[in-house]
Amino acid sequence: MNFSPFGVREMANEGSHTETLTHVEPHLFENRHVDASQQQQSSAYAPTTTGSEAVSWTVHSSTGNGVYSNPVYQYDQHPQPPGRSLQDGQNVSSVAGNSSNLGTANVPQDYNAYASYPSSSNPYGYGSVGYSSYYNNYQQQPNHTYSQPVGAYQNTGAPYQPISSFQNTGSYAGSASYSSTYYNPADYQTTGGYQNNSGYATWNNGSYSSYSSHPYSTYAPDSSGSYSSGAAATSVQYQEQYKQWADYYNQTEVSCAPGTENLSVTSSSTLGCPIPAVTSGYANPSSQPPQAYTAYWRQESSSTAVPSFQPAAVNSGDHDGYWKHGAQSSQIQQTNPIQPNYQQSPLDLKSSYDKFQDQQKTVSSQGTNLYLPPPPPPPPHPPQQVNPTPIQSASTLDTKRVSPLQIPTNPRIASNVTFGQPKTDKDSSTTSSAPKPAYIAVSLPKPTEKVSSDDAANSILKPGMFPKSLRGYVVRALARCKDDKQMAACQAVMKEMITKATADGTLNTRNWDMEPLFPMPDEDVVNKDGSLSSTYDSLTTKHKKSPRRSKSRWEPLPEERPFDPVLISNNAIKYSGWVHNEKDRKVAVENKESKEDGLRNTKFSPLLQRTSSKAPQRPFKKQRLTYAVITSENGDASSDSDKEQSLTAYYSAAMAFSDSPEERKRRENRSKRFDLGQGHRAESNHFRKKNAGAGNLYNRRASALVLSKSFEDGVSKAVEDIDWDALTVKGTCQEIEKRYLRLTSAPDPATVRPEEVLEKALLMVQNSQKNYLYKCDQLKSIRQDITVQRIRNQLTVKVYETHARFALESGDLPEYNQCQSQLTTLYAEGIGGSYMEFSAYNLLCVILHSNNNRDLLSSMARLSQEAKKDEAVKHALAVRAAVTSGNYVAFFKLYKAGPNLNTCLMDLYVEKMRYKAVSCMCRSYRPTVPVSYISQVLGFSTGTPTNGSREEKDMDALEECLEWLKAHGASLITDNNGDMLLDTKVSSTSLFVPEPEDAVAHGDANLAVNDFLARAPL
Amino acid sequence: MAYMSMGEAHRRITDYLNRFCDAVSSQDGASFKSLFALSSNSHSLLSLADALNLFQDANRLIKQSDNYSHFADILLPLFRSIQNYRQSNLLEAYNAFEKTANAFIQEFRNWESAWALEALYVIVYEIRVLAEKADKELASNGKSPEKLKGAGSVLMKVFGTLAGKGSKRVGALYVTCQLFKIYFKLGTVHLCRSVIRSIETARIFDFEEFPKRDKVTYMYYTGRLEVFNENFPAADYKLSYALTHCNPQSEANIRMILKHLIPVKLSIGILPKHSLLEKYNLLEYSKIVQALRRGDLRLLRSALNDYEDRFLRSGVYLVLEKLELQVYQRLIKKIYIIQKQKDPSKAHQVKLEVIVKALKWLEIDMDVDEVECIMAILIYKNLVKGYFAHKSKVAVLSKQDPFPKLNGKPVNS
Repeated sequence: MNFSPFGVREMANEGSHTETLTHVEPHLFENRHVDASQQQQSSAYAPTTTGSEAVSWTVHSSTGNGVYSNPVYQYDQHPQPPGRSLQDGQNVSSVAGNSSNLGTANVPQDYNAYASYPSSSNPYGYGSVGYSSYYNNYQQQPNHTYSQPVGAYQNTGAPYQPISSFQNTGSYAGSASYSSTYYNPADYQTTGGYQNNSGYATWNNGSYSSYSSHPYSTYAPDSSGSYSSGAAATSVQYQEQYKQWADYYNQTEVSCAPGTENLSVTSSSTLGCPIPAVTSGYANPSSQPPQAYTAYWRQESSSTAVPSFQPAAVNSGDHDGYWKHGAQSSQIQQTNPIQPNYQQSPLDLKSSYDKFQDQQKTVSSQGTNLYLPPPPPPPPHPPQQVNPTPIQSASTLDTKRVSPLQIPTNPRIASNVTFGQPKTDKDSSTTSSAPKPAYIAVSLPKPTEKVSSDDAANSILKPGMFPKSLRGYVVRALARCKDDKQMAACQAVMKEMITKATADGTLNTRNWDMEPLFPMPDEDVVNKDGSLSSTYDSLTTKHKKSPRRSKSRWEPLPEERPFDPVLISNNAIKYSGWVHNEKDRKVAVENKESKEDGLRNTKFSPLLQRTSSKAPQRPFKKQRLTYAVITSENGDASSDSDKEQSLTAYYSAAMAFSDSPEERKRRENRSKRFDLGQGHRAESNHFRKKNAGAGNLYNRRASALVLSKSFEDGVSKAVEDIDWDALTVKGTCQEIEKRYLRLTSAPDPATVRPEEVLEKALLMVQNSQKNYLYKCDQLKSIRQDITVQRIRNQLTVKVYETHARFALESGDLPEYNQCQSQLTTLYAEGIGGSYMEFSAYNLLCVILHSNNNRDLLSSMARLSQEAKKDEAVKHALAVRAAVTSGNYVAFFKLYKAGPNLNTCLMDLYVEKMRYKAVSCMCRSYRPTVPVSYISQVLGFSTGTPTNGSREEKDMDALEECLEWLKAHGASLITDNNGDMLLDTKVSSTSLFVPEPEDAVAHGDANLAVNDFLARAPL
Repeated sequence: MAYMSMGEAHRRITDYLNRFCDAVSSQDGASFKSLFALSSNSHSLLSLADALNLFQDANRLIKQSDNYSHFADILLPLFRSIQNYRQSNLLEAYNAFEKTANAFIQEFRNWESAWALEALYVIVYEIRVLAEKADKELASNGKSPEKLKGAGSVLMKVFGTLAGKGSKRVGALYVTCQLFKIYFKLGTVHLCRSVIRSIETARIFDFEEFPKRDKVTYMYYTGRLEVFNENFPAADYKLSYALTHCNPQSEANIRMILKHLIPVKLSIGILPKHSLLEKYNLLEYSKIVQALRRGDLRLLRSALNDYEDRFLRSGVYLVLEKLELQVYQRLIKKIYIIQKQKDPSKAHQVKLEVIVKALKWLEIDMDVDEVECIMAILIYKNLVKGYFAHKSKVAVLSKQDPFPKLNGKPVNS
């Protein structure tokens, strides 16, 4: 419902369209950025177009929705062209890939939530529908798959066309912007809604209502993830298509993607609803001349989608009124700048858009021709390409440039620009010095890109720029976070680190693998880093996951499936795009927050700056912002936006870990589960939190998502797939004493002791006079530190041997078994130690405690001739013989003569053996057996007459034996000499095994913590 | 073969493909199975392998014809496997054959009748043998041998397709036996339990309806499992079943059964004739049997020591070691008989020192306490009837049947 009001306000569909277009462009940019991460060039492009465009667009949408809708479209197209051009370039391919990935990811979700989204994924389809010819040309595969969706879209489109194909498209664009909203779901949705209202009042109503009612529930889980992914995916796909197609197509595709995203966003709640809207809007554009517009819109929206999301989010967040005003003004500015902008950098995007739009308009009929304008984009490409590595800097530069450019071009914007400029300038100044030139060439796109570019730049910088080692570092750092707060804090810290490293040029030179992890920061610290991490992740490998997810989620939608392959291929790109988008959104959100009204532009610029400076933070911020926007704009939408945000965060997180191909595979495998399981849960949780309305919640969620994803990754990864070297911790802790605490997250180097310290710790424990519980605790912590640092050498063996001995001395069999199994593998690796001693222990353990003949046989068969000559092993074998034959006399002789700690292991069997022996005696002896004999034979007395105190000892042993016999129900009598005798006949029926009163499995009652171990039955 | 022409190679390949299709269409299991018998080194397969080496484009040949392409999933890897096997490329041969097997299982499921059961048997057998060979190759290259394990899981899949109702059920036991072979070889016999349960709990299919050879194999392996568990009556039943139903011509199989059945029989007091041990070349048991007859503990120990490795590997070492008590019993009995000859009235009182002296004579060094303990255990386990008087260090034997015979019952434990 909220949407509808907004939609009404924005009835100026055009405005909405423009917004969407801007959004679309951002998407493109973002996508590009994402790509850029892969391919720096693409990323650079995305930022420029998206940023400036997005800002301008949003403004336009609000103000000039009605009037400028067409212009907007034009603008959109223009911006898109740059994106296209980028895409056309290397970026295009990469973008396409990214977009596809995103698309797949998104698509599934979108599909689920939004039938329309699928269409959005279809956006390609849209493109195909509207642009069928274009699309066909452009995307061969997409076309095929999309053709079906397209058809659907067309159908929907047909009804919509009446509304005003253009407007519809615009509204769609809005939806596209929504896609961007995915990032800033709320904002986008609202914008979308606005647009919809104007163009699609019916749609909006229907869809929105449906959205609010159905979709939300569904969305909450799916939508956010799917949406974000979907948007990205669409954009990516679009981009691909764009590549093939003229810029128009790209734009349209992008717009479609955004549109789908938007749709998904809006419709996210109502899956079905969005679909119609999308389809209709798309269909309309495609079918009619407006189709070209729509196409443009789509493109724009898609391209902007990411950026627009942010802008939209900003606007929405700011206020509807603001939006309108701002949008109008911005639109005006944009329009004005647009033409000039083409040449000018700041407005360039807008101007370029305008030009594009103009071209498109002219072309609209000519659609394709207009698209041709894409050539402008090509320029961007070069810069992007050039900048690939610099991308971040380039993006920042762009933003700077953009901001300045914007300022000059658009007076109105100027304020905005100024806002943005200062911030952006800072950021850009730092990062973009080198890349600027290239961007300068691209000047036009830059303005729009600024905002987006900033975001993109940030995002790009984060993921794309970072060396693998750094990414691994980030993953490690995040892995040890225990909760969202920590994640956020860590991310903030890492942002700073990375920014610093970037600033002093050590980013690529530093050995991140060796870099100690920073101490856990306060959770309060901004979550900015999360975005970085997410971006990293996204950069790595998100593609496959998203596609699969999308598939699974989308399965219901037949149309989607055909797209899936394409989407999958694109997914990677899309994901990357998503990440960027998310960042952008965050930026946008931030901007909104910072400056709700006229500040939008400024906000964007700040956002850009922030992103550049705090790339990590942005994602969170963006999410928050979007959320805020959503909430502010649409009370109802908030839930959707929340969902979307959470989804985006989720995706971004998922993306973060997806660099390596193996990870992709894993993700593919995991994606389904993920979608069904954690993703939904996380999302739903997020939504609830979001309802609470706290920005932090978003951040936390995002971080949590990242964490959860990382965990999932860890779990799902085949062990061999994990790059342990990259994850290995190098400890810095100098404390010798450390309590054992079972790790629940990745180890923190600050609390892990390096090898030298561990050696000291081992010595300390060995010489410690404290009890076993203390030693066990200490040794476990040493073992933990050794394990997390993957130390496997003599020290490792020593530690395990030491612990095994202590455990034996204290009868702690479970702990001993752990050590023994480790030692077995360590010995097998050829690391020397007390091999014989421990193979004897092992033998005894099997004999006495596992009672498994097959194990015993194989253990014996494994003994070498040499081992059989070893004293300890011989003893163990003799014990085995005594036990199997029940020879208690031999057993207790061996018990007294055990080398090493063999006696300790036998200790645990003594009770059993004594009971057996006494039962045997009671059966065999008549009439009596002297207790003294029993005491001697059953090992109560030492039996070693070495000194004068022997008598005394024997007396003690006798007492002990008597007690034992009594405790076991033996019948005792006294003979004439006063000697105690066991009455065997009576006892044979009265013997029993007493319930151990204070028996502790580890054998030492002193250590007994009541529930330390369960009582072991005899 | 070196001068085989291209046309000849082509002819051989198409000939093989035709035989394959003809066998399927006519459901001729006998000729079908020969097409898979990789390790049979049949002339036709060897020449096919040579033809495949020469004619590299066999895949196209398969895909060209609708007849063959339907079985492309089976044939393509099968050709690769045959080729690699011919080149002693066993790892590759196994990998390809595993694909063939999986595809064949799919196809087999679709055939309603069990006409191809013979071929399935061949595949099951080949995959096991190939896996063993591939593991050898892997081990010689210093890699971890894991193919047999993989073959095990493939066979579990096959078992799954056969274990249901219907005519295919009859093949389940064959697969079970192949699985046993794998599990015993891998030392993962605990995995046998699930298949055993499936075989023994199925009421819909009487065990006796399985083919005889499978029943014998099955009983042999389950009997061995019972030996591990020292469940001698059950082991005796199963191994005896295997022995009586085993083809008398296959002496190697009989020997394998006897290898496990003899220790079981010894444990329940039944001694084999020496001729039997000679006939089946099981002379490692002859000393043990002799020791049991004579009550010669030293002989038993030296026999155990001599063949320790062999007994450990076949899993009967612990069983044989437990025969010690019977040897003690025999020794006491001999003392008792001698005493009876000397003085029947005091024969039932066996002094401990006499036993110690006898053991010393056997060069077994045991002190009085230990011998006393042994006596107590003998009485406790009902190998000797009577009681032991600690005060006088005398074992007082029952006047009636002081040394009860086991008569097929295991020693009380």
